[in-house]
Amino acid sequence: MSTKDDEYDYLFKVVLIGDSGVGKSNLLSRFTRNEFNLESKSTIGVEFATRSIQVDGKTIKAQIWDTAGQERYRAITAAYYRGAVGALLVYDIAKHLTYENVERWLRELRDHADQNIVIMLVGNKSDLRHLRAVLMEEAKAFAERNGLSFIETSALDSTNVDLAFQNILTEIYRIVSQKQIRDPPEGDTIRPNNVEPIDVKPTMSTDSVRRQCCQ
Amino acid sequence: MEGDHDKTSFWKKNIKNVPGRPSPKRETKTNSRNKPHGSTSFQDFQASVSDAWAMDDDEFCSGLKNTRISKKVSQSAALNVLNTHRSTTELKQTSNESLSDTTTQIIHETEVVRISRVPGRPLQLHCSNPPQEEDNELKLERFEILLANSPSLPDLCKLSWSGIPVKVRGITWRLLSGYLPINLERRYEVLERKRQDYWTLVEKYYYTEHDEVNRDIQHQINIDVPRMNPSIALFQQKTVQIMFERILFIWSIRHPASGYVQGINDLVTPFFVVFLQEFIPDSKPFEMYQVDSLDEEKQKIIEADSFWCLSKFLDGIQDNYVFAQIGIQKKVLQLEELIKRVDETLHKHLKQHNISYLQFSFRWLNNLLTRELPLRCTIRLWDTYLAENDSFATFQLYVCAAFLLYWKEDVMREKDFQGLLLLLQNLPTQSWTSSQISLLVAEAYKLKVMFADAPNHLTCHTSNISDS
Repeated sequence: MSTKDDEYDYLFKVVLIGDSGVGKSNLLSRFTRNEFNLESKSTIGVEFATRSIQVDGKTIKAQIWDTAGQERYRAITAAYYRGAVGALLVYDIAKHLTYENVERWLRELRDHADQNIVIMLVGNKSDLRHLRAVLMEEAKAFAERNGLSFIETSALDSTNVDLAFQNILTEIYRIVSQKQIRDPPEGDTIRPNNVEPIDVKPTMSTDSVRRQCCQ
Repeated sequence: MEGDHDKTSFWKKNIKNVPGRPSPKRETKTNSRNKPHGSTSFQDFQASVSDAWAMDDDEFCSGLKNTRISKKVSQSAALNVLNTHRSTTELKQTSNESLSDTTTQIIHETEVVRISRVPGRPLQLHCSNPPQEEDNELKLERFEILLANSPSLPDLCKLSWSGIPVKVRGITWRLLSGYLPINLERRYEVLERKRQDYWTLVEKYYYTEHDEVNRDIQHQINIDVPRMNPSIALFQQKTVQIMFERILFIWSIRHPASGYVQGINDLVTPFFVVFLQEFIPDSKPFEMYQVDSLDEEKQKIIEADSFWCLSKFLDGIQDNYVFAQIGIQKKVLQLEELIKRVDETLHKHLKQHNISYLQFSFRWLNNLLTRELPLRCTIRLWDTYLAENDSFATFQLYVCAAFLLYWKEDVMREKDFQGLLLLLQNLPTQSWTSSQISLLVAEAYKLKVMFADAPNHLTCHTSNISDS
């Protein structure tokens, strides 16, 4: 699938999190394969896909980890936050509870992910206008208060899906390229409770033969 | 990863006791449960299940008698066998070739037709319901003879291990799971009572006000059931979905240590389909069957029996679903350990590309391969799981190992992390039939005998459980 076009300048690991049934897997399949399934099977544990995009003439490869939404899987999925430089925190605009739980997911990230992880709040299912339960302004204000970027998407009709990924990857890219100028990155260590810069080492050591962001 | 790294338990018996976990309920399990794995060697086993390896017993098994893999053979010899298997995969067999060396014929074949080309056997078709090899008349006859009286459980396990004909699968699964008593005289009474019990539970708990915890359970179930098997029309029927919701809800509130965990819904489907098939005339495909067209009484039987068999089945693996899913975490480590021993090349290849076993085998273990296989194959696989009886929890691990080994060539061809993980998370089994499952469980059985019955081979390695 994605193994052929494997020339890239940056490799960013991004996680998709949020309540069960908000459409995480469909966002991923829409972005990576341009596919959508009205009834797609629940994600068990963690599933994986990649896609490359261009930013400033650089090829950025996104390695995206789609996680199961159910609480019980938290122990397994939290392990995947390690090394992630971005997170799409997804809720369903038609289900208020999934929005209320955003705070819990933020706490989850604070506990398990790198503290400088770039987070984007994503209100999915924007096609369900007649069922809207979460106001866009409200979510936007919440995102601002918490230093998150924000977007509404519809994996069903493709609205803003590419843009959401573009935006978060670009944001990560900006931080990383700025940081590279300021201070070259150190070793591959993530300690959630420490104040540490974002870790931009390649996620996979075997790919080090290729051009990497940090070399 | 945390989790208990107690390795010794792996080679003995599956771990059933987890702190804080209620001990599995085992009501009405009065029969002694002798297991087929009492055999001391592959040879014994082979003799006892003459048709374990495939379709037409006679011609197929005549050649097996020449194969000797005794318990005394060391691990290296066993490894040789495995390697031979692997190398022979390249050999193309013509349709009229004798299958006398089929023990050295490996499961690694994507074309499903080859294995079914036994003289006198119809070719399997690539349709959604290809004829399954366990459905031959000879085998059905043997089952019917055995089931006519109160069979001994070990006999039933032996016969079932290699696959159960669809006509007798329902009753056999009920017996193997321990839901239905072996004793003929007690059966009617027990079934009546159990089915009644289930419906009492439904009345009492499903159709009443839920507290917060139960509302959460119900909520998660309601999200998962409609998207269970999107490609199979049967599961889109509202009637069917409500049946699943009740089964899962009642199971969950009776197992508070785990509650409902995503994926358990998939584990109901084989039972549901098997019990539904009992009521479908002329073996019409179940995929399109309208459950509404059945009498209510029959619907109730399918639902209650699915519930009880699921409960029995999950008793042995409840620690897969409790907090932190320690049962699975432990099995992932064991799988890694096992692969490291039987195929270091494969193991190193995965490690070299930073693949961790958790990344692909978690779903295998959590869903007992239901997500990796077509439903017809899952059902065939569960014939063996149920025949493994209490040791199925361990056996499942060997099946996962065999499953990974099956794909070795494809895995070795992938040279980077992405390619490997995408392959391992989307293995192409769409055209599989029960032939592949038979070979898969045969391979798993070999691993089981090679390791579980020979713990001394492993003692020198026990210090390095995981270097990941």
